[in-house]
Formats: sequence, structure tokens, C-alpha cells
Amino acid sequence: MVYIGPLEIPGRLIYDFLHIFILPGFGAILVLVILIIWAERKIAGLVQLRYGPLHVSRRIGGALQLIADLIRYSLQEFIVPENVDKIAYLMAPALALLFAVIPIAFMPTAPGIAPPIYVEPNLLLILAVISLAPIFVIVTGVASDNKFAFIGSLREAFLMISYEIPFIISILSTAFIYGTLDLYKIVEAQSKAFLGVLLNPFAALVAYIAILRITGRFPFEISEAESELVMGPYTEYSGLMYGVAMGIGYIKLYVYSLLFSIVFLGGWLPISSTGNIVFDYILGNIILLTKASILMLIAVFLRSVYPRYRIDQAVRLGWSLILILSGAAVAWSLIIHLII
Amino acid sequence: MSSQTSPQSTQMKKEDPDLKRFLEILNERTKDLNPKISIDKYGRAIYIEISNEKLHELAERLSKLGIDHVKSVTGVDYPSENKIELLIHAGSYLRTLRKYTVIIKSFLDRSSPKTRSLTDVWPSAEFQEREAWEMFGIYFEGHPDLRRLLLPEDFEGMWPMRKDFMIKTRRPGEVEGPWK
Amino acid sequence: MEVDRESSNDFLSNLSQELFMIRETGVREEGERLIELQIGPAHPGSGHMRILAWVDGDIVVRCDPDIGFVHRTIEKLSENRAYIKTIPLVERPSLLDTTPMTIGYVNAVEKLMGIEAPPRAKYLRTILAEITRIASHFYGIGILAIFLGHSTGFMWAFGDREVMIELATMLTGARITYAYVIPGGVRRDMPQNFPDQVEKGLRYIERRLKDWEKLFLNNPVVERRLRDIGVLKPVMARRLGITGPNLRASGVDYDVRMAEPYEAYDEIDFMIPVAEEGDAYARGLVRFKEIEQSISIIRQAIKKIPDGDIISPQISRLFNPLMKKIYAETRRVKFPSLLATLKPPKGEAMARVEAGRGEALFHIISDGSTNPYRFRFVTPSFRNVILFKYLIPGHRLADIPAIYGSIDYFPPEADR
Repeated sequence: MVYIGPLEIPGRLIYDFLHIFILPGFGAILVLVILIIWAERKIAGLVQLRYGPLHVSRRIGGALQLIADLIRYSLQEFIVPENVDKIAYLMAPALALLFAVIPIAFMPTAPGIAPPIYVEPNLLLILAVISLAPIFVIVTGVASDNKFAFIGSLREAFLMISYEIPFIISILSTAFIYGTLDLYKIVEAQSKAFLGVLLNPFAALVAYIAILRITGRFPFEISEAESELVMGPYTEYSGLMYGVAMGIGYIKLYVYSLLFSIVFLGGWLPISSTGNIVFDYILGNIILLTKASILMLIAVFLRSVYPRYRIDQAVRLGWSLILILSGAAVAWSLIIHLII
Repeated sequence: MSSQTSPQSTQMKKEDPDLKRFLEILNERTKDLNPKISIDKYGRAIYIEISNEKLHELAERLSKLGIDHVKSVTGVDYPSENKIELLIHAGSYLRTLRKYTVIIKSFLDRSSPKTRSLTDVWPSAEFQEREAWEMFGIYFEGHPDLRRLLLPEDFEGMWPMRKDFMIKTRRPGEVEGPWK
Repeated sequence: MEVDRESSNDFLSNLSQELFMIRETGVREEGERLIELQIGPAHPGSGHMRILAWVDGDIVVRCDPDIGFVHRTIEKLSENRAYIKTIPLVERPSLLDTTPMTIGYVNAVEKLMGIEAPPRAKYLRTILAEITRIASHFYGIGILAIFLGHSTGFMWAFGDREVMIELATMLTGARITYAYVIPGGVRRDMPQNFPDQVEKGLRYIERRLKDWEKLFLNNPVVERRLRDIGVLKPVMARRLGITGPNLRASGVDYDVRMAEPYEAYDEIDFMIPVAEEGDAYARGLVRFKEIEQSISIIRQAIKKIPDGDIISPQISRLFNPLMKKIYAETRRVKFPSLLATLKPPKGEAMARVEAGRGEALFHIISDGSTNPYRFRFVTPSFRNVILFKYLIPGHRLADIPAIYGSIDYFPPEADR
């Protein structure tokens, strides 16, 4: 299958710039993360019979609260404690953020257009890069010279291993059905058959639960449990780094939701390439981002419903039920592959 | 007594058969320890005065009768008589004995109040005896873990609940404490 | 790293022998494997106390509650004050269910003086006591929820508690510490629209209880965190002298309101909710069921309340004409000076009440002067502290907040 390939320079450069910095890159990240955090607090507030954020921009219900928070964090004094490992302390959150965001450059998000960096097995590449981010989260906790941060890092390490594995297994099991590791071709395959969710519901379920854990949503908000450890691995951060630390979970949620939407919800379907690049680009991205936002909203709503698991319960769940379900996903994929 | 009819008459229930029976058994089982048993006028509290050496034995016999937990262990300071009275409230979870509270009184010598710990009969006395120790200075022999409970670690001075512990009044302008 | 449930249950049932063994192990291995953790007073999950936990890996081997941070010496203070002035003092420790404490103290004073409150006052006291019981149980449920990380449960609990506090404000004028109960009766009569407002409030709480069941009691994560955690067997509960909903969740149906009825409780029908398992979930469940029972008690009391005086005639005959006029017009009691400096006859009296957290004991020794000679005051939380020492060992570190929240321990109440 051939799709419309790279445009000539400078069209290619313009597109790359737009893809990385505006949509679905940093611009979309900024807007969506701000809206999602606001939505989380507002939904939690409304469920809990209170208002949630209200003051900052009253007429739109306090939606700009996060911008106020960001401004405040940027202007706050950034204190570096004395006995931390300075290089690791300063670089680790930035690297965690970097590795969480890089996969966007590999993802095709609009019909008919290649992403800035296009390789054939881009699903595999995305999974590999995104799995590096938790390592730097662990480093932040170990670099801060603090008992609670250390315990937070240990918890993060335990949970990372137990939940990343089923996630990768389940996503790769869909590759059996689609017959390819290329995200663009996966969307095309879904347009010909059914949506990924219907083709392999086990994989979709396992992937979503694993996403909840990896991004630290309730009921798996264990490494940053507030009533036990003060802030988990990020205890010793203040100022802008604290803002970054708070945002990392949501940025990861965004990237994982994009991946989930492409693999299981059909990406930019139901539209297909119309030939008009601008039209394709904008409409395709908006559809994809809408699907991702719905997933994020569901993930964020769970804060109002569930308390948090104990760590050994979460780890046990990961190694027993979730792993078994991901095995079922593989088996199901093989059966479907043989049938179709 | 109030002459109004009220939901709960607080007059002594002379006709309480459970109480009579309990008192009979109690008298019978503890005759040799020579206690002084009396009832308050409302028919619910049973006062037993006993000498200190026989207290532990009395506790064991009461526990066999069904009084299975202690509600309070404390002291009352009588400096004029040079005595500290050990005041123990005990009760029972059994249905027939729930409504009664057994109040045991035993006099100890004020200059060095010592008594045998009741934690081997009634484990519920553990924290209560710790409080009695730090407030009155009553030493409980055989207590597994006799140390301070409520007072701060650096508290110095005499036993707070005794009558000769004066609460210092602070005059205006005076500041106490390490931040002086 | 499995928690060995069997061995921990055996351990808990062979009380003193196993305790000595564990302590010895701690001393020998300390510095090698055991870590001492101080979950200190300035920790988000500890309240006003310090929990010292000796941890082997993730399992708590020994736990020592270090209390006394809010010791306010109520007993010593009362020896320097008149009897009336101790009523607000007795309210302050247990800040959530204040009324049963004042009822107990005033009952003891009334027994000393030989007076009795009229029936209407008894019913008013009962209504207020049950209102504060519901508020106290909501507080306990909210703390349990937040210790598990369930912020919705926390917000809902405090929001629902607000309804009860508003009702109490209508009746007494204050939100939490009322000083409403005085020897001989109560200070104010209930306003005209009070029964309707109470009914509205109770219906709201009943609707909310259904939501609570859906969100909290049937929540699978909550069940995972709370079931089979901190199991308290009935034998152990009896030996340790536990009281309150913790005891009733272990199968012992002991409640002072039925065992030794005071105020208007012997004319009202209610049940005592009892659970059998004795784990943390059962303790939470019993509190919910007790809220339902309290709702029923309040309804019956409002229906059955008799007309009449709210202050005993032995006190009201001491009124001067101005006080009599105020009492006749607005049904508010102003203190005659003789009541403020009352001198009960020499003697002793004891009273027991069932507060929200369990049984509270009041013992007053009077020597005939205006101040009590000795006032002994035992709160239910003080009797439940012992659970920290015997219930937590054998569980994981993350279970400490769950067990703490489920036994509803309130440090200021225990420290007095």
C-alpha cells in the first residue's frame, strides 16, 4: 500500500513544524493538558457537591485556572536542596518529559500525510521510546535525598514492570490481526474491517487498564499517594520543575491516548484522504484528538469514584489478571488471524 | 426524689432479681477476702472496698464470675489521710451483668503507692494503669510496659494529679518555654 | 511477599505469649532487619498522634501508639472549677459527638444532687445526642475514606455532616459545642418549625445513604482495601475492653443505651446493628447502619416528645422574677446564681453514656464544696487505643491508615 509520501521541501518542513509544535504536538499538548486538568478538578468538584475551580475566569467556569497555576509555578523560587545529585535531579524530569513527548513525531495523525519521522515499524518504535520515560521518573526519586521520594520510586519501579509488560503484549497482539506494525496501515486495515476495539476487545481492555496505571490515574495512583507519601518521587521539587512534574502524568496520558485511539479506535476514521492536504490535516487531527480526549476524560473521571489500591494488590493484579487477559488477547488475535 | 413520672425512674430497684442474685454469689465467693460491698441508691453501681493485698485475688474471682473488662483505673489523692485510693471501674459484656458497674476501691500508702498489676487478669487495664502511674505515681508490679502515656517525654516534676501539684499561673508579660 | 494470614491470626489470638516473643525478636533484630518508622504528628495520615511502627520489609512487626499530644488535663482543670464550668470543658475533647459527653457529666451531677430532668428535657437531650451521633459517624466515615485516597467519600461525608450541624444550630444556637445540657434540664426549647426541618434533613440523609452505598460500600477497590484487614475477634475484643462500633462489628451487641438506659432511650425502639466478621469493612458498615438507626430514633423522639417544663422544678424554683419571665416567654433558661455555685452533698456518683465512638464513663467524687474533689472521665477512644498495639502487627505498612480510619480513633478524645 502506498500513501502520499513526503512533500517537497519546504512543504515538508512546514508540515513537520506544524506537526511537532502546533497540532498534535506542543500546542495541542498545552491546550489539552490544561483543559484536562481543569476538567478533572471540575468533574471531581461537581461529583463531590462543590464548585471546583471557579475564581480565575468566572464566566467560563474557571477553565483558565491552570494557566494561573503555570504562571505561579514559573515565578516561584526554584530551590535545589543541597545533598541531591544535581545533574540527575535537574535532568531527570526533563528527560522523562522528553521521552514521553518524542513518540508524537513518529505517529501519523492525518490521512495521507507521513509523520515527521517515518519508519516502517513505527508502532514498535513508539512503544520502545515511550517505555523509557518511567526510568527517568525512578531516577528523580532516587536523586532526591528523601526517604519518601525513594519509597515512591521503588513503588514506581514495581508497578512499571508489572503493567508495561501486559500493555506491550496486548498492543503487539493486535499486530497479528492487522498483519502490520505500521500505524498508518493499521488505520487503513480498520477502515476495511472493524474497529480495533471490536476485533480484539481483550487487548483494548488490557491496554486501557495499563494506561490508567502507567499514567498514575486512580485507582492506581500509588506512587504519588498523598496521605502516605507526600508527593512520591517528586517530593523535593519546587518551582517550574514542580509544574513539569505535575504535568508529566497528563502528558503521558495524552500520548498514550493518542496511541490507543489509533490502534483501537480507528485514528482519523471515518474520513479518508481527500487530496486536499490542509483539509486532511486539520480534520484528521481534530477527529483523532476528539477520540483521545474522550479517553482522557474517562480516565480522569475515575478520580471521583475509586480510592487507591495498596501496592501489593496492584502488583498482584498486574501479574495475575491483567497478564492472563493479555495472553487471552494474543490467543484471540491468533484465532481471528486464522479466520480472516 | 422528683415526683414527676419520668421515662426512667431513678429510684433504687429493690426488686431487681438479677442484682440480688449477683450479690449473693459475689458475697459467697468472696467472703474470705473480707470486702465491704455496698450498692448505690440507683441500683447500678456496686462498690467493693478491699485491702490492697487481696485485690488481685478479688480480681481473679470477679473475672471468673463474668466481670471481664476494666473501664478505668485511676487514683484519688487524699493527702490529709496520707492515702491514695485506687479506683477501678470494671464491667461485664455478658447480657445479664451488663447493667452493673463494679467499682473497686483500695487504699494505698501515699508515700510509696505500690500494687500488683491487674493486666494478667484483665488485659484491658494495660493503658489505664500506665496513665495511673504517670499521674499519681502508683507503681504496678508486673505490668509489662510501664511508661509514660500522655505526658511529654521531658516532663519533670511531681505526679500531676496529686493534690500538691500546683498549676503555675502565669503573670502577664511572663513567657515560659525554650523560646524565651 | 505474601502476607501470611494464618500465622497472623494465630498470633493475635495467643495474646500475651506471642507479644513477648515479638518484642524479643524486635530487640534482637533491631538494627539488622527492623526499621523503626515514626509516622509522626505532622504527617498527613496520622492525626494528632505519633505511630511508631517497627517494619520488617513491608510487614509491621510491632506498633506503639504514642499519644498525649493534645492532652489538655481536663480532669485536673475540673478540680479548680465549679461544677457548671466543667460542662463546656467536657465537651471539648470529643469535638464531634459533644452531647453524649455533657449528658454523662450532667447525669452524674444530677445523681449527686438527687434531682432529675423533666421528661421533655430528656427527649430533647436524646434528640440532640442522636443528631451529634450521626455527625460523628459521618466524620469517621470521611476520615476512613480519605485515608484510603477516596476524596469523594471525604467530601460527601463532611457535606452530609453539615446538614446535621445545621439542625443542631437551629436547636441550640451553636454549631458544634453547645453546652446545652445543664443539671436539671436543658437550656432552650425547640423552635416551632424544628420537627419539619428535622424531617427534611433526615429525608435528605436517607437519600444520600443510598448514594453512599453505591459509591463506597459496593466499591470493589474499597472492599479490597478493607475486607479481612484488621480482623478483631470477639474474644480479643472482650479481653481488651474495646467499645463502640468496633465492638459491635465483632459480634458483641453491647450498647449502653440498651444495657443501662439513660434519658429517653428506654421508651424508644431501636436495634443495635452487629456484624460478625470484625474486619475494617464491617466496622465501616456498622457505622452506616447506626446512622440509619439514629434516624429512626430521632423520628420516634420527635413524635413522642411530651409537653412540659424543660427544667426541673427544683431548679426553677430558684429563679428570680426576671428569669421566670424570660422562661415563660421564650422558654430559655437563665442560670440562677445558686445553680452556678451549686454545692452537692458529699458522696460519689457514676454515669455511663454511649457516645458515637463507644462507652464513656463519668465518676464524680464530691466533698461538699463548689468544686469536685475528683472527676474521672474515660472516653471511648482512650479505651480503643490498645487496638493499635494488638491489631496492626502482621499487616502491611499501607494498611495502617486503613486500620486507623476504621477504628475511628480520635486523638483529642483519647488524650482528654
